Amino acid sequence: MAAESVLFGRGFWGPIIATAAMLLIAAVGGLILLGGRRITKVKPSAGKLKTYACGEELEASDIHADSEQFFSPIRRVFKPFYRYIRPAHSGDLSNYLFWVVVGLIIILISIAAAMG
Amino acid sequence: MTHAPILAIVLMVFGAFLTPVVGISARKLGLKRAREYFVIALMLAELALVLSMFKQVWGGQVLTYKLGGWQPPWGIALAVDGLNMFVAMVVAGMGLLVAVYSYVYMERDTGLDQFYTLFFLTMGGMMGVTLTGDIFNLYVFFEIMCISSYALVAFRRKWDSIEAGLKYMIVSSFGTSFILLGIAFLYGQAGSLNIADLIQKLEGISSSNLIVPLSLFVAGFGIKIAMVPLHMWMPDAYQAAPSAMAALFSGATATVGIYAMIRVVYILFGAFAIGITFATLGLVTMVLGALMALAQRDLKRLLAYSGISQIGYILLGIGLGTVLGVQGGLFHLFNNAIYKTMLFMIAGAIVYRVGTSDMDQLGGLWKNMPVTGTLFAVGALAISGVPPFNGFASKWTIYVAGIEAGRPVFTIIALITSALTLAYFLKALNSIFLGQRPKHLSDVKETPLPMMFPIMLLAVLCVVFGVLPQLGIDLVRPAQEAVMNSSGYISAVLGGA
Repeated sequence: MAAESVLFGRGFWGPIIATAAMLLIAAVGGLILLGGRRITKVKPSAGKLKTYACGEELEASDIHADSEQFFSPIRRVFKPFYRYIRPAHSGDLSNYLFWVVVGLIIILISIAAAMG
Repeated sequence: MTHAPILAIVLMVFGAFLTPVVGISARKLGLKRAREYFVIALMLAELALVLSMFKQVWGGQVLTYKLGGWQPPWGIALAVDGLNMFVAMVVAGMGLLVAVYSYVYMERDTGLDQFYTLFFLTMGGMMGVTLTGDIFNLYVFFEIMCISSYALVAFRRKWDSIEAGLKYMIVSSFGTSFILLGIAFLYGQAGSLNIADLIQKLEGISSSNLIVPLSLFVAGFGIKIAMVPLHMWMPDAYQAAPSAMAALFSGATATVGIYAMIRVVYILFGAFAIGITFATLGLVTMVLGALMALAQRDLKRLLAYSGISQIGYILLGIGLGTVLGVQGGLFHLFNNAIYKTMLFMIAGAIVYRVGTSDMDQLGGLWKNMPVTGTLFAVGALAISGVPPFNGFASKWTIYVAGIEAGRPVFTIIALITSALTLAYFLKALNSIFLGQRPKHLSDVKETPLPMMFPIMLLAVLCVVFGVLPQLGIDLVRPAQEAVMNSSGYISAVLGGA
């Protein structure tokens, strides 16, 4: 179809073939995983299940990755962004209105520039 | 059906007035849930009405309905072309699914007569904005939509929801004031309020005289769609609103906001020259939304920032101004309505079962809610643009459009943002459904079936439009043609005047 060649004109992307391939690979992966579990039996022991943090023994159900610190290395890359932009999202209404005015000015200038 | 355009609006407004009557009557007669059945029946009728126009509009016709038989530009006209037909379908479809979802989701709340009245008013406002051919009418319906949505945000009358509703109202009032001021400028210069008539009259006006009204419109609609830096109200409002309404706002209302922006900027002003402004603001919007989403603890707030980021993709596609770009932008608008509605519904299901959307208090819920978890994974992968889901198809179209428009840097930034999207959704998936389950969550039950049904349907659409992307492109093509060529619209509305 002509429209299909427009949409996926660069290179080849057959969504049905790709989906079938992905499902097949997932099935093969699942089979390998199941096979692996059969060959190597799980041998839990009390020592293996214990969790230590800073010298303290914790219950497994008490352990939870802090959602704000999740991907902290990625967030470290964007540190300047978080330092300056995050405080602007403070919930302070006057701050929001300040940005509405700034936004209008930015839009006005950029439209004036675009329309010559 | 000749009267379908006006009936699609009137039905919703009538629904708003009839709901309290139905509610009171049902209580007196002891008919349990009659009000909810009435709401769902009305939304089904609404979808049928909208779909009754589909064949003619997809055949290339522009349907016009002259109110009171007055000939435009003197009278008010409704005009349905490929673009607003597409938006009306999204609005009616998402409205129906939200009504079905609310059947169980809202059952623990009180004041549901008022809730459904406000729901219908929001729907009526959205339909009015979508179908009208008159710019002042568009403003009036936009206000109806906004005012009822402020009340819906504050519906639960907790401190945070009232605060969020007030903030939303004040910020959004600036937006609607900008739009009204823009209309006043336009009327002062062109002396008309009919969109088709204005298109013709603006051709004779110097572009320098149009900068201020155009800026006011872009800023006004920009607030509604939460374009950066006008976006800050959105996370507060979506977090505080009942999840059913957050689903409606993020799916349908955002779609209507983008529609109004396209109708006014590209069709009314013909200002394709400012596409680069849209594309640039779109890039900033998508990156800022994604980075802010990455740092959130609350699922609904994360979804709100994610919604901001997705609006950025749509603006980028539309801003590129090419056939492929506009198609990609509109396709992404459609897909965004699907998975964003779905993800907010899942957030609502979690709140319904657990009582919180704070990700630090959740975990390991896959054991209790395996179907919900799987559906969340589908939505997360779809919104992140992972094949074979629908988000991949529309994002890919936008990437290719960026390269073909000679702006590969835009494509690279969009690609990186997609990776960020996947990152924060994997974080959400891990925090909510994987890992250790806190003891107090061991008795949590699966999402109730009436809430699950619309979520499943949307998940199926995520797969269908991903595996068969041509369906989506075929769906948006008449809309894209309407954006890029308004001559049919003008002649249909003005009758060759």
